[in-house]
Amino acid sequence: MAMENAAPLKLLGSWASSYTHRVQLALRLKGLEFEYAEEDLGSKSEALLRHNPVYKKVPVLVLPDGRALAESAVILHYLDDAFPAARQLLPADPFDRAVARFWCHFSDDKLGPAVGAVFASTGEEQEAAVRQVHENLALLEAELREGAFRGRRFFGGDEVGFLDVVLGCGSYWLAVFEEVTGVRLVDADAFPLFHSWLRDFESQEEVRETIPSVDRLVDYARGLRQMLLAMAAGACAPSDGAVASNAAPPSAAPPAPATADIAVDI
Amino acid sequence: MSEPVVVVGGWASPFVTRVCIALKLKGVEYEFLQEAVGRKSELLLRSNPVHKKMPVLLHGGRPVCESLVILQYVDEVFPGSSILPADPYHRAVHRFWAEYADAKLHTALRTMRGMVGGDKADAAEQVSAALRQLEDALAECSGGKPYFGGDDFGFLDIVVGSYIGWFGAAEKIAGLRVLDEASTPRLAAWAARFCAHEAVRDLMPDADRLVEFGEVLRAALAANASCRP
Repeated sequence: MAMENAAPLKLLGSWASSYTHRVQLALRLKGLEFEYAEEDLGSKSEALLRHNPVYKKVPVLVLPDGRALAESAVILHYLDDAFPAARQLLPADPFDRAVARFWCHFSDDKLGPAVGAVFASTGEEQEAAVRQVHENLALLEAELREGAFRGRRFFGGDEVGFLDVVLGCGSYWLAVFEEVTGVRLVDADAFPLFHSWLRDFESQEEVRETIPSVDRLVDYARGLRQMLLAMAAGACAPSDGAVASNAAPPSAAPPAPATADIAVDI
Repeated sequence: MSEPVVVVGGWASPFVTRVCIALKLKGVEYEFLQEAVGRKSELLLRSNPVHKKMPVLLHGGRPVCESLVILQYVDEVFPGSSILPADPYHRAVHRFWAEYADAKLHTALRTMRGMVGGDKADAAEQVSAALRQLEDALAECSGGKPYFGGDDFGFLDIVVGSYIGWFGAAEKIAGLRVLDEASTPRLAAWAARFCAHEAVRDLMPDADRLVEFGEVLRAALAANASCRP
């Protein structure tokens, strides 16, 4: 692919979007140059609306020829396919690829929405959501302990791979939400392997370059939680602005009517 | 690959149908284990403990779960005609619309069929809106050729096509059209073409059979529920 005179890859994203982080991290791990454009989700650019008319969400990857791709997992697969000489994120073996894809779906369809539900609720509803998160983490812990990923430092093996990127760019919210809601989500005693994996993941250079500081995330999360709880209480109408989800769970049952449309970006 | 291939599922599930179509396209022989209506087998529960859902593909005894994951696995493991396009961008486009189709169609069709609660007219409108999007996607992906995959059908054809029997069943039950020549002419023609294909013909469930099946399933689930202590 002759890229010398073409514009580089361009990523439209949002600084607090874990789906954006997935793509940024993937590009960095692969050593691919890219331009980044921050989107104001409260006032979406013409480019974003034109490149992703179906969902109107970030991240969007704009290719040198002007064509664009949306949906983080789709983009991650594309980067592997389009740059075969660069570091591959998916494993080589088809069965291992299937396992990685399965847990990617799990992260997006089960774990993510459950964590979002903890964040968007209080009281009994929140307790139920916390139990759900713990059940989901227990499944991952079991795979790390005696299942598909036993004995590995990362889900990808010795090095960070596709599933690490997917799960990792999102798992930092666990600590942030713990701080903001006061609820314990990742107990190092209950989930020792998940806990140590997350610590190893976050210590990687490319990850540190990608994930924003905890302070910034906590501030952002505090504001978001206030807004979500106010909406749940019926104080104001939901807006598509800063609270816009970046990949609402497709067919997952909504936790409660007021928060149904708000899948906190995880 | 000479290891045995088993599909655990049901003839009425579009997620199962799409796996069978893919295997047929690749010329792979497999054993089909039909689940009993309204009840999950030990094998299914053991093979997919996380979701407890069909389909499960067992290849040499190892389970692969989630239909889109299975389709890609089948494509990567078995030789023969490629299911996903060769070009990276087109592969991405197929993956994008496959996720879209499942997100927009699955639950809405179940609502139309009365398998879950919800307003049938709203659900029909959601399905119609999604099909109008897929009509445009078909124009773009096919470039005027017969299928999303071009000259022959591929990943996206299989994913969207697996719902065709359900469109018919949902329309009969809800009394509302969703796939018709007037609003989505290309898609309507494509659907007929897809169903007539020799790799699909014997696998696409008949709409009337699906309507009947829905009744049987509802009855079985109600019976199960009334048996619980």
